[in-house]
Amino acid sequence: MSSFAAGVIKIGVQAPITGKFASEGQSIDKAVRLIVKQYNEKGGILGKKLEVVTCDDEGKAVKAAICARKLVDEGVIAVIGSYTSTCAEAAEPIYYRAGVLQTSDGTSDTLVKHGYWTFFRNSSPNSAEAAFTAKFFLKKQHYKRIAAISDYSTFSTNLTNAVVENIKKMGGNIVYTGKITSGAQNFTPILTKIKSFHPDVIYFGGYYTDGGLIRAQMVQLGMKADFVGGDSNDNPEFIKLAGKAAVGAYLVNVPLPEMLPYDAAKKFLKAYKETYHENPASIWTLFNVDGLRAILYAAEQTKTTDTKKIADYLHNKLKDFPGITGPISFAPNGERIGSAYMAYRIGSDLKYHIVYKEK
Amino acid sequence: MDIFLQQLVNGLTIGSIYALVALGYTMVYGVLKLINFAHGDLVALSAYIGLVIMMQLAGALSPVLLIITTFIATMIIIATAGVILERTAYRPLRKAPRLSAVVSALGASLVIENGIMLIWGPMPRIFPASAVPNANYNIGNVYISLMQVLVLIISFVLMVALYFFVNRTKLGTAMRACAIDQDAARLMGIDVNRVIVTTFVIGSALGAVGGLFIGMYYRGIHFNMGWIYGLNAFVAAIIGGIGNIPGAMLGGILLGIFNAFISGYLSSSWALALTYVLLIVIMIIRPTGILGERVAEKV
Repeated sequence: MSSFAAGVIKIGVQAPITGKFASEGQSIDKAVRLIVKQYNEKGGILGKKLEVVTCDDEGKAVKAAICARKLVDEGVIAVIGSYTSTCAEAAEPIYYRAGVLQTSDGTSDTLVKHGYWTFFRNSSPNSAEAAFTAKFFLKKQHYKRIAAISDYSTFSTNLTNAVVENIKKMGGNIVYTGKITSGAQNFTPILTKIKSFHPDVIYFGGYYTDGGLIRAQMVQLGMKADFVGGDSNDNPEFIKLAGKAAVGAYLVNVPLPEMLPYDAAKKFLKAYKETYHENPASIWTLFNVDGLRAILYAAEQTKTTDTKKIADYLHNKLKDFPGITGPISFAPNGERIGSAYMAYRIGSDLKYHIVYKEK
Repeated sequence: MDIFLQQLVNGLTIGSIYALVALGYTMVYGVLKLINFAHGDLVALSAYIGLVIMMQLAGALSPVLLIITTFIATMIIIATAGVILERTAYRPLRKAPRLSAVVSALGASLVIENGIMLIWGPMPRIFPASAVPNANYNIGNVYISLMQVLVLIISFVLMVALYFFVNRTKLGTAMRACAIDQDAARLMGIDVNRVIVTTFVIGSALGAVGGLFIGMYYRGIHFNMGWIYGLNAFVAAIIGGIGNIPGAMLGGILLGIFNAFISGYLSSSWALALTYVLLIVIMIIRPTGILGERVAEKV
């Protein structure tokens, strides 16, 4: 362990405080400071007060590496961040070599593939969304005939393929898979073709700009099949594009902060709002501070600031810790187990209604 | 069979829109021997202008009156834009080498496209869902929406009207004369500039109708959509025989149906690629396009 000031445990925040993602970065910093304040009011942990050290990585990889060195030199035991996968990954090896814990919301799969025991990823990757979607399809909706479409982007193709594979693994019946050209606007030819397969549902793992039109054109073609959209369909514009056809469409995504059903979430959001008179920028803020809460909890349980022991506790002993974003457990590679995904149905009030979530 | 008929309806709808836009290319080419590359962007502009007008007047007018006003106002504005385009980008270059005008057309296209992005932003804009009642007709198992019916009828009426205008009126005759030989037409006392302006007015106004159809039928519009619609319409004009008015109509409808069948029976990703294969095949078999043999009547 690196040296730290007597009686103080330092926590680092590496986030884009300025630049394109400034609102997200500032939100993460504010949330971390709020949690730390709450801990300090109760007397800190292990008889010591907590102190936050923030470094602005501006969302740039080079700055991220500089921040990592700076925070290591400051003697932090853990770093929260960064917001982007790029910055989190650039800083990862530096924290690893210094034995400093790191927790990030980055969704890139490469983040957890280095084998660094110091790294913990809190947000759900696409693979978790795919697994959740497959369960929603087969266990909740009992779809017998499933059609899946994506666009040509890496994100959309990978997500949709993962959903299809998960459904097949669970014994589901995929009757059609195909691709649309994003922005083509006219999807009636492919939808007419899909109609001939008589699916119960069409899954679309692409963006809302196409998803809204697909839903509208399905209804226009008299299709009775359900529509389920992946996370990138979750945008107010989806409802505007689909118009009345939006009613009855399903979307799968991690929840909006205000839709989290957990007690920890309600308490945290209330405190955040009281302190800063605004809501956190997004769910990503909450993923980040959940990492912090898990680390502090592990430190209290192990009664040490030895990061090796804390990491060992997080990897092996932490089971369903009540996080703001749902129960937290970690796989050996630092990946969060379980998912916070939920399925929403758009009601006739054009609002989201939770229809399915994992415990 | 249902599927086949449904694809036919899908194809006819989009084909009619291609045809309306293709007319703008073919008329300008007929008279000026110039491919007006900015035409597709005028189509995109018309969708944005139409959306603004519709939003401003919504509530103040009854739905039918709102639609009619939107169409007429947008057609006038886009026709004016077409005339301004001709004045600023093409007329000064009329005596210059052909390449200068083509470069100028591409430049104008970029100016309009980026102008739309600067004014309305890069995110897609959305037409109100209530613009046209969302009525559906179910014939057999083939679904046709009210909007599709309107697209088909209005396009047909406009195309027939244009055909009669070109073939039966004095100005139409002058237009055909200019298409054959501008200098000879001038010697015969025809005001060539007036003919060219008329060509841009009609072509742009038809493009405006196409743009409004795209906006009202698909609802989502984006600043660079003029490129893809323009490209398809341009190909349609060439397939039909560029400079030939019935050719543009036929080319547009054939292309729409061709696209629908390729997307429906093969894959939508092949639609654009095979469109070019079709273009190349037609160029090899009939370099003048399907209806391109009536050289004397080229407009």
